Amino acid sequence: MMGTKRARWFSPTLTPYLLVLPVLLYYAAFWLQPVVTVVIQSFRDPVTGAFTLNNFALVLQDKDFWPAFWNTFIIVSISVALEFVVALALSLLIYRRFWGSGIFFFLMLIPMALPPVATGAIWKTGLTAHGWLNSLLIHLGVLAEGKKIYWLGTPRTPKWQLLTLIILVDAWTVIPSVMVILVAGLQNLPREVIEAGYVFGGTYWRVLRDIILPMLRPTIQTAVVLRLISAIQIWLIIVLLFGFSRVPVLVERIVYYHEEVRGLDIAPAMTTGYTVIVAFIVSAAALLYLYLSGAFEGEKAS
Amino acid sequence: MMDPKIQYRLRKAARQMLLYLVVLTITLVIMTPVYFITVLSFLTTREAYEYPLPLYPTFTIRMKMERGKRGYLLSVWDRNEQAYVSVLDTDDADKMRVYMETYLGLKPSNEQVTEVMQKVDATGGQPVYFAWRRHILSNYATFFRVTRDAVPALIRSLQIAALTIAISLSIGGAAGYAFARYRFYGKNALKFSVLFVRMFPGVAIAIPMVIILARIGLYDRPAGLSLLYSVGVIGMTVWITASIFMAIPVSLEEAAMVFGATRLQAFLRITLPLAFPGLAAAAMYAFIGAWNETVAAIILTEFNPTFSVVVYQTLLGATGQVNLTAAGGMAMALPAVVFTFFIRRYIHQMWGGVTV
Repeated sequence: MMGTKRARWFSPTLTPYLLVLPVLLYYAAFWLQPVVTVVIQSFRDPVTGAFTLNNFALVLQDKDFWPAFWNTFIIVSISVALEFVVALALSLLIYRRFWGSGIFFFLMLIPMALPPVATGAIWKTGLTAHGWLNSLLIHLGVLAEGKKIYWLGTPRTPKWQLLTLIILVDAWTVIPSVMVILVAGLQNLPREVIEAGYVFGGTYWRVLRDIILPMLRPTIQTAVVLRLISAIQIWLIIVLLFGFSRVPVLVERIVYYHEEVRGLDIAPAMTTGYTVIVAFIVSAAALLYLYLSGAFEGEKAS
Repeated sequence: MMDPKIQYRLRKAARQMLLYLVVLTITLVIMTPVYFITVLSFLTTREAYEYPLPLYPTFTIRMKMERGKRGYLLSVWDRNEQAYVSVLDTDDADKMRVYMETYLGLKPSNEQVTEVMQKVDATGGQPVYFAWRRHILSNYATFFRVTRDAVPALIRSLQIAALTIAISLSIGGAAGYAFARYRFYGKNALKFSVLFVRMFPGVAIAIPMVIILARIGLYDRPAGLSLLYSVGVIGMTVWITASIFMAIPVSLEEAAMVFGATRLQAFLRITLPLAFPGLAAAAMYAFIGAWNETVAAIILTEFNPTFSVVVYQTLLGATGQVNLTAAGGMAMALPAVVFTFFIRRYIHQMWGGVTV
C-alpha cells in the first residue's frame, strides 16, 4: 500500500491487530472478568463459598420476585411496542425536511439526553398532588380551582394504573429519540426506489409495506434491540416516583438488596442471584429478538 | 369545477398545515415538562408551596410593611390571590431578614430591613410598599450550599467524565482507526462484540466490580467508576471514530508519506487535525454517558458519591423543597443537553448508519 523506505518497527500486517488489542484487553479485564466473577459467585454460598443453587432458590422464593418479573414484562412488552409504533408513525409523517426541522430534531433528542435523575425530577415535581401538571390543568381551566388529581395514586390504587403511568412517562422519554433514529434512517433511503413504487401503481400502504419498511429494517433492528436492552433495565424513574417495593421491578430488586437492606443475612445471595437472572433475561431477550427479526441471516448474506 | 392547479396547491398547503400541526403538538408535549422544571428551579420557596404553582418565575418581589400586633407586619404580593398576603409579624429585624432569605430568595442586610422598619415608623404606621430584586440563580446557589456533598460530588463527576473520555478515546480511537483503514481477521466478530458487550446489563457488571475494584484499591474512587463507564462507551467510540476516519481520504496520508512522513507522522499531522471535530463529538458522547449514569454510581460509591447520586438522594428523600430539587435536576441536565446540542448531527448520522 505504501512505499515508505523508513525502517518499520513492526510489520504492517500486524498493525491493525496491535491497534485493536487494547480494546480486547480492556474488555477482558473489565467486562469478561466481572461477568465470569458474578456468574461463579451466583453458584457459591456467600459465606462458605461452596457450590450451591441456593442463591437462585432464594430469589425464586422472594415474595417480590414474580411481581417484579411480571411488572418488568408488562412494562417492556407494552412500552417497546407502543414506543416503536408511535415513533414510526410520527417519523413517516415528518421525515421530509421542513422549516425549523433542525431545531425540532434537536428538541426531540432532549428527553433521552436528560440524565435519568433529571427526568425523575421533572416527573416527580409534576405528578405530585400539588405538582406542575395539576397546576397547569388549573391554569388551563380543565381542573377546578383547588382540585387535584392524585397521579401517583393512593395505597389502594389498582396496579395497572401505576403501570400505565410508568409506561407513559417512559414513552415521553423514549419516543422522541426513536423517532429521530427512524427519521435518519428514512432520509438515507434512496428516493428513486420509493418513487418507482408509486410509478408502478403502488398505493401508499403498499409502498410502505413492501418497499420502505424492508429497506428500513436494519435501522429498525438497531433501534429496537438497543431499546429492548435498556427497557428491561428500567428502575430509576419507578423508584423516584413510587419509592422502593411499591411497584417492584427486576433491577430495582438488585439495588434494593444491595443498598437498602444491606444488613440482611440474605442480601448478598439475593443481590448476586437477581443480578445473574437479570443479565440472563436481558441477553436472552436481545439475542432472541435479533434471531427472530433475522438480523443474523442478514449478517451472513452481506 | 376547480382548476386542477389550484386543487393541487390547496392539497399541498393542507399537507403542510398538517405537518406543522403534528410538529407543533409533539414539540408542546415534549417541551412542557422541560419548561416547568425550568420554571420551578427559579421559583421562590414561598411560591413553590403555592397551589396552583405559578406559570412563570418573577425576580422582583413586591412587599408591603406596616405596623403589626407584635411589631412590623410583612406582606408579600401573591400572584394567585392578586393581593398582598401577610406572612410575618415581628419586631426583630434579624428574624425578618432570615424569612426573606429562606422564603423569598432575597439577600438583604439587617440594615436594609431596619431601614424599611424606620420608614414605617416615620410615616406613622402607614403601609410602606417596596420591591426588591432577587438574584436569578439564588436557588442554584442555595442548592449547592445546603446539599451535603454537592460541590465535591460535582468535581468528582467531572473527574470521572474526563477520565472516561481519556480511556475510551485512546483505546476506542485506535481500534476505530484500524476498522477504517485495515482489513484483518475477526473484524466482523469484533464489530459484533461491541454490541454484545451492551447486551450484558451495566448493573450486572457493577455488582462484581465492587470486589474487583476493592482488590485494586479503586472502590469508591472516581477512577474506578470511569473504568466501568468506559466499557459501555468504548464500543460507541469505535463506531464513531471508525466512521470519522473513513470519511478522511487515505490518499491524504499517502501523499504525506510520499513527502517523507512516517505513517505515525502522517496520522498525527494530517488525519488527527481533520478528525478533530468528530473526535470532539465522541468525547462529548463519552461525557454524557459518564455524567448521566446513576445505578453503577450508587452501587460503586459509599462516601464519595457522584453528582447524579447526590441528586438521586435529594429526590428520594423528597423532604427538600421542590424548587431546590428542581435546581439540582437542572444543574444535572444542563451539561448533557448542551453537549447533545453540539453532537446532534453526529447522533443522527450515527443512528442512521449503525446497523446490527
